[in-house]
Amino acid sequence: MANKKIKQIAIYGKGGIGKSTTTSNISAALVKQGFKVMQFGCDPKSDSTNTLRGGKYIPTVLDTLREKTTVKASEVIHEGFGGVYCVEAGGPAPGVGCAGRGIITAVQLFKQQRVFEELDLDFVIYDVLGDVVCGGFAVPIREGIAEHVFTVSSADFMAVYAANNLFRGIHKYSNAGGALLGGVIANSINAPYAKEIIDDFVKQTKTQVVEYVPRSVTVTQSELQGKTTIEAAPNSEQAKIYTRLALKIAEHTESKVPEPLDVHELREWASKWADHLLALETGEVTSKASCI
Amino acid sequence: MIKILDQPRYVCALGAMQTVQGIYRGVPVLHAGPGCAGKLAAGIAGNNGDSGYISPQIYPCSNVTEKEIIFGGEERLAETIENALRVVDGDIFVVLSGCTAEIVGDDIAKVSSRFANMEKPVVYVETAGFKGNNLEGHEWVINAIIEQYLAKKPVKEKVKGLVNIWGPVPSYDPFWVGNIRELEKLLIEIGLTPNAIFGEYRGIENIDKIPQAEFNLLVSPWVGLKNVKLLEEKFQTPYLHYPTLPIGAFETGKFLRTVGKYAGVDVEVVEAVIERHEKEYYYHIERTSDVFLENRTMSRRFSTVTNATDALAISKFLVNDFGLVPEKQYITDDTPEEYRDSIEKYFTEFEYGIEAKVTFSKDAYRIHEEIRNCDYFGPPLIIGSIFEKKLTKELSGNFLAVSVPIKERLILHSSYVGYHGGLRLLEDIYTYVLKQFN
Repeated sequence: MANKKIKQIAIYGKGGIGKSTTTSNISAALVKQGFKVMQFGCDPKSDSTNTLRGGKYIPTVLDTLREKTTVKASEVIHEGFGGVYCVEAGGPAPGVGCAGRGIITAVQLFKQQRVFEELDLDFVIYDVLGDVVCGGFAVPIREGIAEHVFTVSSADFMAVYAANNLFRGIHKYSNAGGALLGGVIANSINAPYAKEIIDDFVKQTKTQVVEYVPRSVTVTQSELQGKTTIEAAPNSEQAKIYTRLALKIAEHTESKVPEPLDVHELREWASKWADHLLALETGEVTSKASCI
Repeated sequence: MIKILDQPRYVCALGAMQTVQGIYRGVPVLHAGPGCAGKLAAGIAGNNGDSGYISPQIYPCSNVTEKEIIFGGEERLAETIENALRVVDGDIFVVLSGCTAEIVGDDIAKVSSRFANMEKPVVYVETAGFKGNNLEGHEWVINAIIEQYLAKKPVKEKVKGLVNIWGPVPSYDPFWVGNIRELEKLLIEIGLTPNAIFGEYRGIENIDKIPQAEFNLLVSPWVGLKNVKLLEEKFQTPYLHYPTLPIGAFETGKFLRTVGKYAGVDVEVVEAVIERHEKEYYYHIERTSDVFLENRTMSRRFSTVTNATDALAISKFLVNDFGLVPEKQYITDDTPEEYRDSIEKYFTEFEYGIEAKVTFSKDAYRIHEEIRNCDYFGPPLIIGSIFEKKLTKELSGNFLAVSVPIKERLILHSSYVGYHGGLRLLEDIYTYVLKQFN
């Protein structure tokens, strides 16, 4: 345990895009490969780790801190599927207080107590709230926390917009030793044009797609059982995709500084795609991927 | 580019807690972090308001810490107000919020409104430091009392001759008590009835009289303008804005004539008061003129480094009454932009066509550099705060601290206002000058 390098990863993306689903399946797949993993939910909703714990909520760091002045990290770590260490930062009720500060406090508490080293972890995966609305939600990408950031995005414009915003955050912190971008996890990629949109976006922003994850009813069925796909349908096609993604992330070593589009470029880019999709619908042009 | 602000002479809006302390039996209730009150008091109260009926060390405070930041501090504030009402025997409770509480969006209006039906009035003011300075905060406190307390009371008849006095800011003006008392005395002498809310034994009783005044008298270049305008709007009380705090015979005579005329006081009454005072005043000037005229340790030139009120009042006195020549005057109170043009104009209205240049600056480093590079034709007179002491020594000049931070002198009821105030100011300036001989 002496000099073991813990790989710390942060997963960002627009709210509702499938971050927690993807993160939990990555964690589940990694423990199945024999790694020691902690999943750290950084969202006041505190439901990141639910599918690793049979759909059950766990007491959060901040709930515990609300009741006591000091919190031992061990009190808020709960084991989930395959021994994944589950932690939820938690936060205030909607409309009061400062959730961003809550994330900072929770992450710092773990860092100060050197929990990751003591647990001899291989991976810590931060599952961060959709919109990086303030400095608190940028904590995992700041110096000394995560090294690699992955963003979950569909081909939906708002998801791409959120991803581009995240790239701007990474760009900002990149000179100060912050995390760099590993790539995009392209989620809900079923329509041919969806793959083309994401591919074009990563090309524009000088990054890469780590994996294409199709929308699948298996995921929904598993989640309704309170489980990850890896646990509920280990032999499914979807589980194979999540395992492949997890292994790629495990092997990933070199992250880069992305080149986010500015607001005008992003709008122009989106408008070009809107025209293209409209033309596809009306049958004016044929997509290169239409034969797939 | 990042700038370092050297030796600022004002504090953040929460410093207006001292305005509440200035109201006898007024209780500031802070929704702020531990330490805010202490630090602010050290900045502007110092040895002139650190204790009293209630003091910055014991103001009720929610002591916002990380827990309140994350989860919101509204309940903690409610608890603090509730206990303050239970424990502190006060007449009016003013809730003031600090930065952190406002950044996380605590609704202090909503929390304070829960106490609307208590026996003692509870009003609130949003005084987050990032919103403004303590002088703006002072105005917000008074406006909060007007809007949330006075405007809700039944309308009473105006009282002939009753005049509200506004201008001196508690604690921030180290001479505030004495200055207000002198203004009161001057008004009484010309037959008016002054009403001031700050200082000993005035308090809520005088606050209640505010709407009944015949007019509001604001004696300040800018602080308080928002208050008298609000009073005009709420109670149809007109106001007289007299920008210069009167020091010495010239300005005090002008002040009495202006106020007397505005209030409809018989000219003969006003002139008799002026004549009586001037006789006494010039007697003292005359018998001491050798000291003033025949010393070699002070040139005839001076600068002030202070707030707008003192810079204007003192420079008018030194020029109009005393014949000194103004070099640049430095205004350090973070005067809002909207008032700067009119204040600069006041400095072009000295007697004998004399004008003074004015610089608004919060940065003592730049101010001191300019003073070092200015030729005062001999040892200058620098009037400012303790920050100018070393500088003046370096220039072998003459120094007097009149505004915060003062630190080296105790001020109880002294004042530079009026005829006696002018003489007092001369005593203080020339005591330093005479010490130069030793």
